[in-house]
Amino acid sequence: MTLADTDPARAADATPLGGGPPAQTPVPDRARRRGRRTGGVGRTLGVVGAVLVGACLAAALFAPVLSPYGPDETAGLPFLRPSSAHPLGTNDVGQDLFAQLLHGARLSLVIALGAALVAVVVGSAVALVAGYYRGPVETVLMRIVDLMLGFPFLVLVIVLAAFFGRGLGTTIFVIATVLWARPARILRSQVLKLREHAHVVAAKAMGASGLRVIGRHIVPRIAPLAAAQFVRAANVAVMLEASLAFLGLGDPDRVSWGTILYFANARSAFLTDAWQWWVLPPGLALTTVILGLAFVGSAVEEWADPRLRRSAARPARRRRGAVRVAGADDAPALSLAGLVVEYQLGRSVVRAVDGVDLEVERGRILGLVGESGSGKTTIALTAAGVLRPPGRVVAGDLSLGGRPVGRPSRPALAPYRGRDVALVPQAAMNALNPAYPVLRQVVEAARLTRDEAAAEVRSRQLLERVGLDPSRHQAFPHELSGGMRQRAVIAMALVNDPDLLVADEPASGLDVVTRAQVLKLLTELRDELRLGILLVSHDLPTVSRIADDLAVMYAGRIVERGPAAVVSASPRHPYTRALFGAFPSLKGERRPLAAVPGEVPDLSRTPEGCRFRTRCAEAVDGCATTDPALAGDGGHAVACIVQRPEERP
Amino acid sequence: MTPAPPVLELDAVSRRYRSRRGPRRQAEVVAVDGVSLTVQPAEIVAVVGESGAGKTTLARLILGLERPDTGAVRFDGRDLTSLRRSELRAVRQRMHLVFQDPYQSLHPGMRVGEIVAEPLAVRGDARAVRGAAVTRALEEVALQPAASMGRRFPHQLSGGQRQRVALARAMVARPELVIADEPTSMLDASVCAGILDLVLAMRDRHRTAFVYITHDLAVARWVSDRMVVMRNGQVVETGASDDVVHRPTADYTRLLLAASEGELDQVPS
Repeated sequence: MTLADTDPARAADATPLGGGPPAQTPVPDRARRRGRRTGGVGRTLGVVGAVLVGACLAAALFAPVLSPYGPDETAGLPFLRPSSAHPLGTNDVGQDLFAQLLHGARLSLVIALGAALVAVVVGSAVALVAGYYRGPVETVLMRIVDLMLGFPFLVLVIVLAAFFGRGLGTTIFVIATVLWARPARILRSQVLKLREHAHVVAAKAMGASGLRVIGRHIVPRIAPLAAAQFVRAANVAVMLEASLAFLGLGDPDRVSWGTILYFANARSAFLTDAWQWWVLPPGLALTTVILGLAFVGSAVEEWADPRLRRSAARPARRRRGAVRVAGADDAPALSLAGLVVEYQLGRSVVRAVDGVDLEVERGRILGLVGESGSGKTTIALTAAGVLRPPGRVVAGDLSLGGRPVGRPSRPALAPYRGRDVALVPQAAMNALNPAYPVLRQVVEAARLTRDEAAAEVRSRQLLERVGLDPSRHQAFPHELSGGMRQRAVIAMALVNDPDLLVADEPASGLDVVTRAQVLKLLTELRDELRLGILLVSHDLPTVSRIADDLAVMYAGRIVERGPAAVVSASPRHPYTRALFGAFPSLKGERRPLAAVPGEVPDLSRTPEGCRFRTRCAEAVDGCATTDPALAGDGGHAVACIVQRPEERP
Repeated sequence: MTPAPPVLELDAVSRRYRSRRGPRRQAEVVAVDGVSLTVQPAEIVAVVGESGAGKTTLARLILGLERPDTGAVRFDGRDLTSLRRSELRAVRQRMHLVFQDPYQSLHPGMRVGEIVAEPLAVRGDARAVRGAAVTRALEEVALQPAASMGRRFPHQLSGGQRQRVALARAMVARPELVIADEPTSMLDASVCAGILDLVLAMRDRHRTAFVYITHDLAVARWVSDRMVVMRNGQVVETGASDDVVHRPTADYTRLLLAASEGELDQVPS
């Protein structure tokens, strides 16, 4: 459910809060590298598998062309050794073994693919009926599925095959009978999930019939998973067919790989060296198909389930040896100059942050506000030293409490992470490790700078300070409300007494009252601990009420900056004004809302002139050519040539 | 003159869930507890509350996706629980809904045109009729040019555009009632404003009634005529939206107001 379950790299990012000790930070990197390797290998294996299976299918298809003999035809003397006429020799009645191998592929594969198809079709139907209609039908169907899965299926196949007799149709039927249950169960859970998906509920709510909902909304979305199940089922079916035939329960009048093995065994191939060309080739052919299908299967599964897809991001190189210097007490907690951050996305490079300067004073909150895609989260991650590939710091100079760090890359910030700068990441309250009590997790973070005993004392102290009653310290995350979890996360971030707290949307996802409480807590901690807080949020009205300073971002640039009271009382940049006008007022007059027309510019191309001009109602000719600089007086700066005519060329 | 009959009437509706906590222990959760509510034609009623207040269950009850344990849900005077399946389907075609998450509520494999046409297809309209209605609906939500927008897939649209598609789909069959469940909470403010404007425009143009579910008091006040404040499944306050905001009677409403106004000293630590 949490990030921790699905993505170790990201969880590692979130839980140590400003990173564990430097010695631990390689873990996510290693995980990432490992992930990348399996991702690449997965695809390669898929291709290898497809080639193997394809080769077998081709052999089956072109059997009459590849071998001049029929499978049942007496082609020569018995027990001939391999020769150019008979590449695999002949068997005890003089049939060509190579011809048998090729023709045997036909039956083996037809049975395998046929049985898998029947199994998946039946399984899907059961899954759809059970998962969509639920009720007693589901109970009955799923008990049958449990029953089928409970039987050892080889035994079941043998019993069924013996009961129903031999023949192509019955073999397919028998194998499908034992194979449909697994896809049924797996697909049903998918149907259950989809059933609650908004677009399915929407279709139902608009009065669509069950058949329409299933056909239009559910079947297309379980198809990839069904395809993966088909490959898996085919894999098992090949093996089952061979087993059945080997036990003499196949159709003795037709050649399959299993029957070749059956006759080889029955007619004492093992007593002579004939087994080398009688037993080994069909054995190898079976192995090839099974391996190939397994490879294809895992590749298809990876493709069907995006969660299994690994990002192909390049890992950061690690350097050691950065030295921590003592900082000055009155220096700003954070000072960033000329920050440029890019994301490599496929072939294009998106410049998410393009030349940003900002400062967070100790004992003050800087509200960094912007809409999605403005680059505000990228700045937060960079300042906290946890920006990951494909994000890359291209330029910039950072200092923490007066200590120059240089270009704020992950390794450069590693010695400071957790000690001098701590991060409360987005949705952090959902990233706590569900397996440990919260106290344990805070103590773990505190161990960075303290021994066990001192860490526990400090952790308890802080948990209590953020409002977690001592009786709740041993609670597991799921036993706490969202607000309490967020408080625990804040305690975790502050446990090593950082000067700077970077909080990325610390209150979003919380209820109105809880949100206000968490923000209130932050203002209290700012005053008590002289903490500098970089508060990243999209909620301009809320942030402008609790922040001391405001910086408004648009498309990778800060467009306006100043004391929060000044900026909210007299916003100057057209974007800031538009943003304030877009939020409905709670108690003021019901004025019309100002939606900002248009879309954010494409940051993979360098925008010319002012980035906001295409959506700006006040744009003049000069806006298209002049890239406005952030400038102003009295600490209130704005990047707009309309507001600052002196900037015009 | 007699007042027009309400589009929707909830009469002391309750819905309980049995939740399993640990082995064998069962607790009952009352999701909606004795809620009464009427919605007149062309009226926008906001349902405000925090998570767990029962807002979403209320929406499902109104749509007939769930049955109330006690009480009655009447749409256009007909009790939904008394309807047969086919009748319920027919009633549902006269109401529609818009969801919170524009990334999930649209089928990723369908084109915008097909998505918007779906309510008409469900109703059994001929293909020829649908095209014109879809174009009109897309134009109404300012997705233009409608022809090229209709050919796009949801992933080719921004969040705000997707929510416009959802709104077009909700309006295309001219429903009498639209249930909007937090339709703007995942959108940026500059985009959200446009959606709120559209809701008002739709109401004015087509006299559609809306039940607008939200946790945001400011949004609720802005968009609605009347407001219902819910907590733990119960209605704690109801009234004209401006009255509720300016002259709240319930302590809980006051707390919500203080929290939304950022009056932190009035919020308990």
